[in-house]
Formats: sequence, C-alpha cells, structure tokens
Amino acid sequence: MRKYFYILKSELMSNLQYAFDILVGFISYCILIFIFLNLWKYIYADPTELINGYNMNQMIWYVIITEILWMSLGGRKLCKKICNDVKSGNIAYNINKPYNYVEYALFNHMGLVIIRFILVGLLGLILGIVFLHSFPSLTILEILGVLLSCLLATIINIMLVTSIGLISFFIEDANPFFWLYSKMILVIGTIFPIEFFPAVLQPIIKFSPIYVVSYGPAKLFVNFTMTNWTQIMIAQGIYLVISFLICHGIYYKGVKKLNVNGG
Amino acid sequence: MKTKIRKKGVISLAVITVEHLSKNFKVKLKEKGLKGSIKSIIKPNYKIIKAVKDISFNIEKGEMVAFIGPNGAGKSTSIKMMTGILYPDKGEIRILGLDPKTQRKKLAYEIGCVFGQKEQLWTHLTPYDNFKFFGAIYDLPSSHVEKKIQEFIELFELEDFINTPVRNLSLGQRIRCEIVASLIHEPKVLFLDEPTIGLDPVVKENIRVLIKRMNKEYKTTVVLTSHDVSDIEKLCKRVIIVNKGQIVLDDSMENLKYHYLNKKIVEAKMKEAVNLEDQEGITILKDKGYNLKMEVDIKKKSIADAIKLLNPDNIVDINISNIPLEQIISSIYKDGEQE
Amino acid sequence: MLTEVKNQWKVTMLSIKYALQREMLNKVTFFSNIIFMMLNNACFIVQWIILYSLKNEVGGYSFKQILLLWGIAAGTFGVSHFFFKESYELSETINTGKLDAFLIQPKNVLLSCITSSVEVSCIGDMIYGWIMLFIYGFTLKNALLFAFFCITGGFILTSVAVIFASLSFWFGRVEIVANTINSLMTNFATYPEGIFKGFVKILFYTILPIGIVNFLPIQLLKDFNFSTFLIIIGVTILFIAVAFFLFYKGLKRYSSSNLMNVRV
Repeated sequence: MRKYFYILKSELMSNLQYAFDILVGFISYCILIFIFLNLWKYIYADPTELINGYNMNQMIWYVIITEILWMSLGGRKLCKKICNDVKSGNIAYNINKPYNYVEYALFNHMGLVIIRFILVGLLGLILGIVFLHSFPSLTILEILGVLLSCLLATIINIMLVTSIGLISFFIEDANPFFWLYSKMILVIGTIFPIEFFPAVLQPIIKFSPIYVVSYGPAKLFVNFTMTNWTQIMIAQGIYLVISFLICHGIYYKGVKKLNVNGG
Repeated sequence: MKTKIRKKGVISLAVITVEHLSKNFKVKLKEKGLKGSIKSIIKPNYKIIKAVKDISFNIEKGEMVAFIGPNGAGKSTSIKMMTGILYPDKGEIRILGLDPKTQRKKLAYEIGCVFGQKEQLWTHLTPYDNFKFFGAIYDLPSSHVEKKIQEFIELFELEDFINTPVRNLSLGQRIRCEIVASLIHEPKVLFLDEPTIGLDPVVKENIRVLIKRMNKEYKTTVVLTSHDVSDIEKLCKRVIIVNKGQIVLDDSMENLKYHYLNKKIVEAKMKEAVNLEDQEGITILKDKGYNLKMEVDIKKKSIADAIKLLNPDNIVDINISNIPLEQIISSIYKDGEQE
Repeated sequence: MLTEVKNQWKVTMLSIKYALQREMLNKVTFFSNIIFMMLNNACFIVQWIILYSLKNEVGGYSFKQILLLWGIAAGTFGVSHFFFKESYELSETINTGKLDAFLIQPKNVLLSCITSSVEVSCIGDMIYGWIMLFIYGFTLKNALLFAFFCITGGFILTSVAVIFASLSFWFGRVEIVANTINSLMTNFATYPEGIFKGFVKILFYTILPIGIVNFLPIQLLKDFNFSTFLIIIGVTILFIAVAFFLFYKGLKRYSSSNLMNVRV
C-alpha cells in the first residue's frame, strides 16, 4: 500500500506547478456556472417552484457538483496518457515493475484529481454560496456520506477512462471512444438530473455509469436521504467491481497480445 | 545622418551600411519557484540587457563576410535588425539604400534569409511546389519561376529529389532546398545564419560549394554567421567579430591570419630528454621530456634558431604548424572579455 | 495598391490550400475529424429539447431560433478557426520568436502568420451551421445573410483573438488572458441573449462582441433592418482595424527569440 501512496504523493507535488493550468480551468468553470445560474433563473419563474421535484437552488447546486466531479477528473489527459503508454511501449516497461500498471495509473492520476477536487470544490462552494445565499441542510455525517460517494464516483470514472485508453492495445485510436463517453456524461449526466428525461429513458440512464459517476453524488448533495444513499452506495459498489474487472480484463488481454507480438 | 553617409561617399559603393546601431532588451527577472512567479507578476523587476552597442560597418557588393562571435554576443540581434525582424533602438541601417525599419516589405524583395535551425519549407510538399510557393510570395510570374527552378536544378544538382516531399529528404538535402528557396527571387543580399549547423562534414562541404557557386554566378553579397570555423575559412574573405555587443575586429581573413601567422607551433619528438626554459620569442606549451611543444614568435626568433636549441641530431620527428584559426578566434573572444 | 492586394490574396489562398492539403494526407483522420465535430455540436440539441419541454420559449427565442443561434455560433467559429487558426496561437508565436519567418517575406505579416495552418474539424462546424440554417428555413435571402454574418462574425472573433494576443508584445505571456477571452466568446455564444441581464449585456456589445457576432444576426434573420445591418458592418471594420493597429504597433517591440536565450 505504501508504494502506491508514494506514487500518489510524487504526482501531487509535481502537479503543484500546474497552478496556471488549474487557473484556466477555474475560469471556464466560473463561466459555466454563471451561464447556468442565468439560465435556471430564467426558466424558474419563481425560485420556490418545483420542476420534476427540484427547486431552482437545487438545480444550480446539482450542476455545481457534477461539474466539480467532471472537471477534477481530467479525463482527457488520463486517456491520452494511457494511449501514449500503450503506443510508446511504456506499458511494456511497466510490466516488469513490482506493481500493477492499472493500480499505478489509478493512484498516479488520483494525485492530480485530489488537488483539482479540492480547488474546484472550494471554488464551486464559494460560487454557490455567493450566488444562491444558501447551502443544502446537511449534517457532518451526511457530508461525509456525500464525499465517500464522490470518491467512489471518481475511482469508477478513472477505471472506466483507463479501460477506454487501454482499448488502444487493439485499435489504432481510442480517442473517439473517450469522446463518446465524455459526451454521454456531459450532455446527459451533468446538466439535468435523471428525473428530467422522458420516463422511457429514465430506467436506462439509471443503469448506465451516469447514475454512479455523476447523478449519485450530486443528488445526495442536494437531497440527502438514507434510502438514496444506500441505493447509490450499492450501485457504486457493483460498478466498482465491474469497472475493476473490465479494466484488468482489457489490460491482461492487451499484455498477452503484446507478448505474442513480441512487444 | 543621411548627409553624413553621403559625405563619406560610401553610399554608392556599399550594399550594407550600418551606423551607430544599438539595441537593448528589457528582461523581466524571475526568482525561482511559485513564490517568485507570483512576485514577478505583481512587482516585476526589470534588467536592461545591452545586446548591441553602437556598431558601425559597411559591406560592399559581392563580398562574403563572416559575422561571428560567441553565443549572446549580439550577432543574430544585428542580423535580425538588418533584415527588418527587429527594430533598432538607435542608429541607421541601409541595405541597398532601403531602411529595414520603415521599408520592410520593399527590402524583403531584395534580400534572402536562411536561418539554419528554422525551417520555412512546407514539409508535405515537394521542393518544386515549395519553390512555386515562394515564387508566389515574391509575386514572380509562373513562367519565370519555372525557368528559375530549371536553372537551379542544374546549378545546384537537385534533380534527384526535386519531386520528393520535403519530409522524406535527408537533413542535408533539406538545408540545400532551404537555401535554394531563398534564392528564387534573386536576392542581392543573402543572410545565412548557421547554415551548416548539425550537418555531417560531407554535406557541409556540399553546402559550402553551393554558397560559393551562388556568390560567383549571381554576385550575391553574403553575410554569414557560423560557429564552424572552416565555414568561415573556406567561404569568407572578411571577418567581423562581435563580442558583448561590440565589434572587436573587422579585418580581412588574410590580415587576421597573417597577424597570428607570426606564431608557429613546433612539436618535436626527441631521442633524449631536453630541458628548455621560456625565453625571448619562445613559449613552452608542453614538455614531457621526450615530447615537446612550443610556440615560436618568428618576428623575434627564426624557426631555424628554435630548432637549433633542440639539438637537431636528437630529433626523431618534427611538425611545424600554424596556429589553428579556431584558436585565433577564441583568443580574440577572450581578449574582449578581459577588458 | 490594387496589385498588392491581389498578390496578397493569391498568396493567402495558396497558403490555405497547402495547409489544407497537409491535413488531407490522412484521409481517415480528415473525415472523422469533420464528422465528429458535427456530432459533437448535435449532442447539445438534447439539452435544448429538455429545456423547451419545460418552457416554450427561452430568453425570448423559439426552438428554431436556438438552432439558428447554434448555426451562427458554429459558422462564425468555423470560419475563424479554419481560415485563421493561427490567430489563436498568436501569443505563443510572438513569445517564441516564430514571427521571424513571416517578417522576412514581403507580405502582410499578420495575414501570412494567421493563415499558415487550418483546423480541419472546423469544416464540420461550418457544415453544421448550414444544416441549422436549413432547419430554420432556407430562402435565398436567409442564405445570403447567413453567409455574410458567418464572415463578419468570423472576422470579429479573429480580430478579438489577435487584439488580446498582441498584448504579448507588451506583457509577454498573456496566453491565459487571450484563451479566457476566446473561451468566454464561444461559451456565451450558444445561449440566448434574453437570459442575461445588466453588466454582461454591456460586455456583449463591447469587449466580448457576442451581441454583434450572434444576437444581432438572429434578430436580422427574423426581421431585416438596414441600420442594424450597417452597425454590424461598421463594428466588424472597427474590430479589424483595431486588430491590425495593435498588432503593428506591438511589432515594433517584437524581440524575436532573443529573450529566450537570455537566462538571468
């Protein structure tokens, strides 16, 4: 466990220098939240009105949280890195190391995500409080519950993106797959809660990764109930196992192919 | 300023006139680390670097001049001012009577530039298409460009790769095409900045032949910078050495060599050990008993006298040579630094 | 003067043609870039379908007008990033001394520089823009106006990019500012003007001229009005003039790559 911690720590330190990159991310995050603030203010004639069970503040908090999760993930960078590792043969070099490449990638990337999560998270909370003058009523324990679900969401997300990156063992360019994934999360998962979609689509979305990586934590933040929490935890648990298996499955298949071809 | 130049009577002869040219750069000082970066944004600390300090010289038509100096001496800053890339702070430049500061476009039709490390060719196109493109940049009619390309193919032996995309060419072939591309509009003055950097000796020689041939055929005036002394030795009749933004030497290659040719290096291998001390006209460079290396100033002591000191019967092998140009130049650089 | 303009035009077109050829070397990448960009834009329709299921107008726009807004946004972005891609890299070009190559050519430095490469995916944007116009309602008048506004808007977007990148001549690394302004322009461009109030609206008609690029054209495509049309032309010329003025003013301070070699 300790070695993974060191991987995480070194990545954390080296990323401090990318403060400027983060600043750029900050600005586009602010723009986005500002736009949605205006948009929902326009749609909601009266802030206390409920649309599909959400009031205006809840809708804006929902976007704030889903965007924090997505922005701190840095998925494109991760996917690119994995693709490059596969293409450049770097991965073959990692095979002989005393750690598993998939776990290495996970912890390595977590270093970046944690920094971004803290920074973007603070920014999001400040923006929410300044613009909405309100904060969802959560107990300390409930906040921990939300954070746990955020952590699980991020791990699942990293695993899924890594799996997508590892597809480049088998095909020329994995980027279109990442693109599809990111569009799915962004268009369906970050702006509207599942309840806003047509009734026919809702069960499908509930079974998709969107439910565990995006909707779940945000829903808990704006409306925490014990039943919701248990449901989301179970779903995240199942997805954690599935994504772990997919990721390792693709990795071992890919490495085997690499060995057959002689690297 | 203009009248002054005319009074001197150089304007009719000189292709390049540079008078009292100066250029300073303002550099933001940055401390290390994140704290330093933030500090440099809030309260920047500037330092003025005098890159070029009041230099003047003339170059005449058809001359090939080496413009050399150590890194950061101000040579490429000067060349960039002459080509209109940089604005001078002070001083006057006339290239073919044009002022690069105000007549950049007009000047560009008359001069050519090759910057060794920077590529101006489209790599996915063939040299042929590239030449056509450069022809269009200089507003040359298509038929004229075709004729010119035919001429270059013969003169510079390009037929083997004229229709191969540039990205598939070797580095040497590429540089050759870079130089030829900058000749398409028949420039009267050509600036070559490190044209042979990173090339192997055979290719270097090819490029030198090309430059020489061009100078002979088209009477092109050439200003060349290079760190490779043999480039300078083989191509140029005149050398301008700059150091710390100033001209420390402006002389013909012959004079430069002659001045230092008074000194010879004598290396001898002896049967018996000799113990020789420094004396009038002789400096011992290396003395390992049987192997001896000394510098002889022939104005003060003839070679014959020097050899006599060694006892000629004991000499197994002897080699008398000039001081290499490279050493001459670096000693000039060092002189500049001591001041 | 006239031949100079003609020659400049010839070289600019040749440069764009060659840059496009370079991108077409790999046909698969070339076409997939274009198609993915169109799909990418199309994805956002989902968002608007849901919003319009909640309310039948958003910010005073009908659903078709939102599609047209996307069309104009994609069209102007496409024109600007396809033909003038390098204006979005201009700050770095200035800081790293890569302007040298264009300064030794007897042509307009700014134009030569910003047209020296093309962004292929923007062909997808331009096509998408036209598809949106077809859905909105294709008439000859609409088509002509749409084409015209794509060009004026493309010019304004490019000018804004050049204006902020030119600050590099004075302040060095301003990429962050330039990039932020450019992303502000694209982010706001796809939301109806009516949802914003107060201060932002002033920005839309000044330093973030989204009003001129996107909102006024939507208005004119609905009810044509000659004086608004003239305003768009006037503002476009003004932005182009300011861009050229600032760039050439700054060029006198250009330091090539010399500063990079200095380590203090």
